[in-house]
Amino acid sequence: MQFAVNGLFISAAYALVALGLTLIFGVLHIADFAQGALYMLGAYVSFYATHAPGLGYFASVPVAMGLTAALATLNGALVYRPLQRHGGALTFIAALGILLILQNLALWLFGGDFRLIASPFGDGKITVWGVVLTHHQAFVLGVTALLVAAVWFGLRHTKPGKALRAMAQQPEAARLVGIDSARLGLVTFALAGALAGAAGGLISPIRAFDPHIGAIVILKSFAIVIFGGMGSVPGAIVGALLVGMAETFTAAYLAAEFADLVAFALMIVILFARPQGLLGRVPA
Amino acid sequence: MRGSLVRSRAAWLAALAAAVLAPLALQNPAHQNLLVLTGVNVILVASLDLLIGQSGLLSLGHAGFWGIGAYTSALLTLRAGVPFLLALLAAAATAAASGIFIGYPSLRLRGHYFVLVTFIFGIIITLLLTSLVAVTRGPMGLPGIPFATLPRPWGPPLTLNTFQGKTGYYYLVLAAVLLTLWLRACVVHSRMGRALVAIREDEDLGQTLGIHTHRYKVGVFALSTGLAGMAGSLYAHYTTFLAPEIFDFVASFDLFVMNLVGGAGTAAGPVLGPVLLTVVRDLLRAVHPVLAEILFGLFLIAAIAFLPAGLVGGWRRLVARRVSR
Repeated sequence: MQFAVNGLFISAAYALVALGLTLIFGVLHIADFAQGALYMLGAYVSFYATHAPGLGYFASVPVAMGLTAALATLNGALVYRPLQRHGGALTFIAALGILLILQNLALWLFGGDFRLIASPFGDGKITVWGVVLTHHQAFVLGVTALLVAAVWFGLRHTKPGKALRAMAQQPEAARLVGIDSARLGLVTFALAGALAGAAGGLISPIRAFDPHIGAIVILKSFAIVIFGGMGSVPGAIVGALLVGMAETFTAAYLAAEFADLVAFALMIVILFARPQGLLGRVPA
Repeated sequence: MRGSLVRSRAAWLAALAAAVLAPLALQNPAHQNLLVLTGVNVILVASLDLLIGQSGLLSLGHAGFWGIGAYTSALLTLRAGVPFLLALLAAAATAAASGIFIGYPSLRLRGHYFVLVTFIFGIIITLLLTSLVAVTRGPMGLPGIPFATLPRPWGPPLTLNTFQGKTGYYYLVLAAVLLTLWLRACVVHSRMGRALVAIREDEDLGQTLGIHTHRYKVGVFALSTGLAGMAGSLYAHYTTFLAPEIFDFVASFDLFVMNLVGGAGTAAGPVLGPVLLTVVRDLLRAVHPVLAEILFGLFLIAAIAFLPAGLVGGWRRLVARRVSR
């Protein structure tokens, strides 16, 4: 049970990044690997903002979200939009280009040392039904649940959310009924950027980070997205939960170095059984 | 048409002459090192293009098969004393067998499925190489791989000590490059090549015409991964040191990028892409290591913005514009 809770916590980070990725993929058909760099920048912005006078950790996460959302929108407007007519494979190269640029800019500006944000909660712990949870873990789980619920609600019940779903399902019809796909595309980028930045800011008091962390996070999140079903929101959440759990339990019962291996092996086994992904639809 | 054929043959001959003379003109060991690595990359990209350009099969795990070949060859020579040429063959065979193992089930289905499976398979290979410490020494890397030895009809076998001189090894790699390009040309101009184009353009139509699409897809995947395995062996006995991260997903992406920048599905693209990108990256690194990666990222974005069909595609457009004028 204790392991399950720890796994839940790793899953939270993957869920946020994977959620953004799956939205971008579902709506725009772009595999935006640059989101990994936004996660990393979210961590750095949060790190520096925490120590800025008058800000502190709690204000630093929204600051990180805002900046990464802006950056994601900029990527979308300056790089992806002009390239989109060339099709998926080429936007993928652009995404890697952006990842390279941001990762090495960070290396240049911040150096290659591992960093850890000081958690405002200190070492405080709570115990629920015999399961120990640090205050920060509880905070992360709460905020993640809130963000996921907000996205979920937004997609179901708000006008832009409905328009996004329409764009994902029937791009031509969406355009016909007057949905501004260019603007909504940028909204999608901003939303995904904010989620990735939030994940970076939330997790970094518990997991140390360096400029290369983004590549690792995006690799897993991308795998989770394909595993959950490309473009499927519940798929991303369920996939993140499964991968986080598989990792934690393997590390606990087998060996830490096999954690990733088991997670990915599990994915391939499930892919052979369910090619469209866990919750994906069979392509028509 | 005939004129262009003669011209393209002349271009290939000129390229071959340049490739043969290059190590004699460039005596600097750093430049020669670049020549050898470019050669390995050309094998990898030309084999990858058999999938991407020829058959429309997007593989994002090519470096994994490269790694399988490299470690197979290294471990066989290092631990079992197998001679180099035999290890090279074993490397190609092991990589091709893994290709069949992964390709047989995953090539039955369409769409993103194959991309995903190759992508995850590539990651799994890196993770296996990292975690099987007892066999591969994991993240510590595998040093002391024996130099390549070639039997000679006279005297003792020839040992290609790449620390003392790289010219000999370069010619070995060049021979492998030529073998790869020749095999590639054979496939493209064969019944199989036409079947693969049919699969790329419209697989359903191909099937209704009686083409065993699955068999051809598995076949071309085995050939492609086998060639990647050969490139792995050549890489292992050149550097004599292997580490898992050399063959990680970033390497697979690099190969994919080289293929697209050169021009997928063209004869010259798989040669031009690796040559250009290997040289550009190295030149940039000589200026400033971190800045180089930033500039390389910008270069990639610019390359696809201005040359979406790759170097070869851009060249063709230029020629077409001139002819129409």
